[in-house]
Amino acid sequence: MNQHTDRPGDTNGDGHTDTSRDMHPDGQAGRRTGWHMDDDLAVAYAEGRLSPTTAASVEAHLLACASCRGLLAPQVSQTRLDRIWVEVVDVVDTPAPGPFERLLRLVGVRHHIARLLAAARSLRLPWLAGASLALFFAALAAGETTRWGVIGFLALAPIVPVLGVGLAFGRGADPAYEIGLVAPYSAFRVMLLRAAAVLITSVVPALVIGVAFLGQTWTVVGWLLPALALTSLSLLLSRWFEPVQAAAGVSALWLTGVVWTNLHAPSLAMFGGAEQLAYLIITVVSGVLLFLGRREFS
Amino acid sequence: MNVVVDDLTKTYGRSRALDGLSFSAGQGVTGLLGPNGAGKTTLIRLLATALASDGGTIRLLGMDPAKEPAAIRRRLGYLPQETGYHRAFTVFEFVDYVAILKEMVDRRARHDEVRRVLAEVGLSDVSHKKIRALSGGMRRRVGIAQALLGEPALVLLDEPTVGLDPEQRLRFRELISRIGEDRTVILSTHQTEDVAALCARVVVLKGGRQAFEGTPAELRALAEGRTWLSDQKAGMLSWRTGDGLFRNLGDAPGGSRLVEPTIEDGYLLLLGGLPEEATR
Ligand SMILES: Nc1ncnc2c1ncn2[C@@H]1O[C@H](COP(=O)(O)OP(=O)(O)O)[C@@H](O)[C@H]1O
Ligand SMILES: [Mg+2]
Ligand SMILES: [Zn+2]
Repeated sequence: MNQHTDRPGDTNGDGHTDTSRDMHPDGQAGRRTGWHMDDDLAVAYAEGRLSPTTAASVEAHLLACASCRGLLAPQVSQTRLDRIWVEVVDVVDTPAPGPFERLLRLVGVRHHIARLLAAARSLRLPWLAGASLALFFAALAAGETTRWGVIGFLALAPIVPVLGVGLAFGRGADPAYEIGLVAPYSAFRVMLLRAAAVLITSVVPALVIGVAFLGQTWTVVGWLLPALALTSLSLLLSRWFEPVQAAAGVSALWLTGVVWTNLHAPSLAMFGGAEQLAYLIITVVSGVLLFLGRREFS
Repeated sequence: MNVVVDDLTKTYGRSRALDGLSFSAGQGVTGLLGPNGAGKTTLIRLLATALASDGGTIRLLGMDPAKEPAAIRRRLGYLPQETGYHRAFTVFEFVDYVAILKEMVDRRARHDEVRRVLAEVGLSDVSHKKIRALSGGMRRRVGIAQALLGEPALVLLDEPTVGLDPEQRLRFRELISRIGEDRTVILSTHQTEDVAALCARVVVLKGGRQAFEGTPAELRALAEGRTWLSDQKAGMLSWRTGDGLFRNLGDAPGGSRLVEPTIEDGYLLLLGGLPEEATR
């Protein structure tokens, strides 16, 4: 590397990077700051045309180099200064979001979506922790005993997302429901966003806990399609009923079914191949009906 | 006129909450005054597009809420009577959340707007506090702040002064009258003091019907020549005041003295009884 010509690459809007001038901001040259800004780079930085990483490395250099600061000063326009100021105010004056929102942003969820999700009770820490704990004990029991233990885990795992979705929106679950009701943002969209987030945050822990305690048996995934079927069914029912009630009803039905078959039929009858196909069909049909009736939700 | 209501009816099951109600409201603060159960909340929810009517017409900002709810909602601010708040959110986060629901997608602009409304209700200093840590009066101000997001042309406030102490009440009046300077504000209350202090116009609701529409001065004038002080109780509207004399509304009892009425006197005469008796 020729350290005198190495300098931050200027990534332009077209997405191409001039590789002959490219450099990784974290590379050796950046750390030793064996380069200086030229006019082109100063102008590009001043006009905010640099990629965030390149700009960051320029800023790191500026902190250490008075002569480059001198070069930059005349290039910075008033409008950019104003814009920087607004950003500074925004950063200083905006409260840091809670841990769940920060996590969402970390995995690439956009700010406003993260906030829409964090408003749901079942997407906040107490609920997520409680649900994981319940699954943990169910898995523990499943590992110890055979018949009822395994059934218990298979029965509980689908209920966690169903109840979570039921508590994620609607008059009973949302304290500011009435305000949201008359806001222009699509209630259907909020519902789907939260349902998807609840599914992810309950299916992933259930899978992890299942694999950890039960090993790689089919039990670990046997509840997945039931979970999808029951969740989409209770979403569909929330068109006519309170979401919490729809979720409670669907869950009660499910538990009754599982217990009944366990008493009267081969214990895992609810999770056989034909049954799984039925869950898939319920999921698809509910999904289609949900989509067709989307206007009824707002 | 930004709000025009004609012959509006709304029934819950068999009980009729609104019964042929008509009124209109333009720029400034219009008060909906009535005892509990008079239909104020029902009316405000209809105006907020949260409820559909059974009969009659509503025009809001020149539009029909049954046909163009979305267009109305974009220009509406609404504080429901008994709203809750997401208690785990900070003040800033909650108002920002409502701003997102109001389709303000650009983050910088939205945050600026959130700061503006928080400053307007005097909550800038507590914007980092969790909602659950706020007093009731402050929470109500959060409610007003969210109703101001996006400079709505129509602001609906359902009993915003209930449960506030006199000092908070004063701040509220100042705030609400400021809000009403350049938009249509409809505020429901069961207290005549609010109307006297705030409203350019007042609509009195009684049993789901409009019992009066006019200025507060005109409401007061209803009791002109019918408000008496005497040392005995007379008529059906009569109560003992602090100085031992009875204030009588209606016909003159013997040996009584005619006095200047208040808005309250006019309102009580209109209801035909004390508010407790007027509730259904
Ligand atoms: N959701 C409802 N279901 C049945 N009756 C209702 C409902 N909401 C209000 N009412 C009835 O309608 C009438 C008017 O109520 P409301 O609009 O809340 O009056 P206000 O806000 O003036 O106290 C009351 O008799 C009340 O009991
Ligand atoms: Mg009310
Ligand atoms: Zn330099």
